[in-house]
Amino acid sequence: MPGTLPTDDLFLLIREPIDHAALVAHVRAAEDGAVVTFDGCVRNHSHGRRTLYLDYEAYESMALAKIREISAAIHEKFAIHRVAIAHRLGRLQIGETSVFIAVSAPHRPAAFDACRFAIDTLKRTVPIWKKEYFEDGAVWADGELPPAPPDTQIAKPAS
Amino acid sequence: MLQRGYNFSVPTASKTIRVKVLFFGRLKEIADRSEDVELTEGASIESLFARFVARYPELARYRGSVVASRNQEFSAWTTLLHSGDEVAFLPPVSGG
Repeated sequence: MPGTLPTDDLFLLIREPIDHAALVAHVRAAEDGAVVTFDGCVRNHSHGRRTLYLDYEAYESMALAKIREISAAIHEKFAIHRVAIAHRLGRLQIGETSVFIAVSAPHRPAAFDACRFAIDTLKRTVPIWKKEYFEDGAVWADGELPPAPPDTQIAKPAS
Repeated sequence: MLQRGYNFSVPTASKTIRVKVLFFGRLKEIADRSEDVELTEGASIESLFARFVARYPELARYRGSVVASRNQEFSAWTTLLHSGDEVAFLPPVSGG
């Protein structure tokens, strides 16, 4: 049912392992015919090097605000019911879940589309960063530059 | 944000404003602090960044690959700042 108020949505930034089952249970309801989930997990390699572990950090207040915006956007665009989005912070080992998204809907197409839109948007707009640790060093992962409003002509360029 | 009690029609002589500044990711490893900064009224996000470049010259090379936020919203570099604002400098994001 489009237009459902997202009051039952769940957004988390947490330092403990993400409980997938709890998030799925949170979104599924009697009126839903589908729950689609995305489980983003820590890969053991990056750019041909063996990854040891990752450290995630966030601008937490803004990250939560941006995650809420994503939820509002998918409620607007797709006929979905509930959304749960959790992102892990701190040190993550290979195979652990870094991000988990669950979307419920009466019918599966909306749930698939909304879940895909949510993870794609999260990766572009939510201020979270990961540092990748290898046997011979560490690097901040190549990221995406979020869309920002264009500069106006009012201010003088910085000297 | 509300501009509490401020009246633009009254000219003031170089009033001072105070903003909170945050750095993240690789920028935090260069400017390793979050702090309150005093600026002259009319300062922009660009001029605030320039002030930190003066103190940490290595920041300059990231100017083209950083976005700024003001009060948790992505903002243009020309955005003018007000007392009490929270400004953050954000490298390309890599969550997920």
